[in-house]
Amino acid sequence: MIHYHPDDNLLAEYSGGSLALALSLSVCAHIQLCVDCRQKVASLNKIGGALLNLSAAEPSTPGNFEQLMQRIHQQPEVPAPRLAIAEHNVDPMLTHLPKVITKLLPAGRKLKWQRVSSVLKTARLSTGQKDYEVAFQCISKGGKVVEHDHGGLEVTLVLKGSFSDAQGIYTEGDFLVRDAGEIHRPTATLNQDCLCLSVVAAPVRVTGFLGKLINPFLSFKPA
Amino acid sequence: MTNTITAITTGGRDDSWSRLLELVGRERDEVAFAKLFAHFAPLIKGFCLGNINANFPPDAADEIVQEVMFKVWQKSPSYDATKAAASTWIYTVMRNCRIDLMRRNQRSTSDSGVLEIDDIWDESAEDQAYVYLMQANNEAMIQQSFAQLPHEQRQVLTQVYMQDKTHQQIALEMGLPLGTVKSRVRIGLKKMQILVVNAVGNRDEKM
Repeated sequence: MIHYHPDDNLLAEYSGGSLALALSLSVCAHIQLCVDCRQKVASLNKIGGALLNLSAAEPSTPGNFEQLMQRIHQQPEVPAPRLAIAEHNVDPMLTHLPKVITKLLPAGRKLKWQRVSSVLKTARLSTGQKDYEVAFQCISKGGKVVEHDHGGLEVTLVLKGSFSDAQGIYTEGDFLVRDAGEIHRPTATLNQDCLCLSVVAAPVRVTGFLGKLINPFLSFKPA
Repeated sequence: MTNTITAITTGGRDDSWSRLLELVGRERDEVAFAKLFAHFAPLIKGFCLGNINANFPPDAADEIVQEVMFKVWQKSPSYDATKAAASTWIYTVMRNCRIDLMRRNQRSTSDSGVLEIDDIWDESAEDQAYVYLMQANNEAMIQQSFAQLPHEQRQVLTQVYMQDKTHQQIALEMGLPLGTVKSRVRIGLKKMQILVVNAVGNRDEKM
């Protein structure tokens, strides 16, 4: 049972197409796990349909249709098949993930995990944008992550297992938004490692020893 | 109850466009496609002209129309009229084209992602089956109630959907607190009953 969802404003921004790509990715992964939010987005999309119907019709430029048909006839009918998902990712932690997350896994090679502490490892994911860092965070079962803060907005989506902090327990599919400055200390539950997708806004870069002290959790490097 | 469900799934929707779109998908019917183009191309162009900014010059409108209708042709085999009206489905195709175009204008060539826009704004039908039947609203009702919203709610929703603006951008441009913009959007959605979620499990009993 999913208890934490993106709010209606976030879903409206997603449906309208203005939500930043990395945040949209996290919303997409959530709605691939959450029937209720999927239905909400389907409903929200209807506003777009209604606004399209209500638009003032502007005549298309003559010849536009003929040009399009020419293009269609030149195009092979069956679009090239997408690259198959990497077979090499046999890590059981990375199976049965939402479709959009599966697409993020590097094809043909293993994920590069970086050990942050004895209980936390992280793997950066390449998404072709620079505004947010997108990464997997994996907390070993029972592990407590050091208390930390982030430079900016942080979205966490639980993909496997569960974790808790002072405010609650979060399980598969739960979608959490934290603003900059909210300090927390996540702890994975005892029975299973916990895998999360994290999307963190690019912070103002603080360099040097002090910077590492302020934010030991993540050194930001957009991929 | 059966009547209500029929009314919910088909009532009010001008289904001739949805049927034409299904024909295009199933039979690759070019006559049906020409009719869809004649109807939707001017609407797409009008919709896009409502959003002129640096990333979206006015002469891009014809290009967008072509790109959207090209994608409509390509993707139409996955269209299912029981899940969305043609206008809503075409809206999602158009939205994705616009995101794609703006991204291509903004990013450097070296910065190519593995993800495609259609992966993130994924309207493919296969894994979304069964969700749609019991939605308590349809495009015609939404269109009607949208027109009746107070100006301030209509205005913010128009900016969210037609001008690709985040709530934050709208707040900055209008000189309003972010919270005000958010609540206007939420009140508007509530009035249109957009977010009335029906328990999926109820469906079987009623059918």
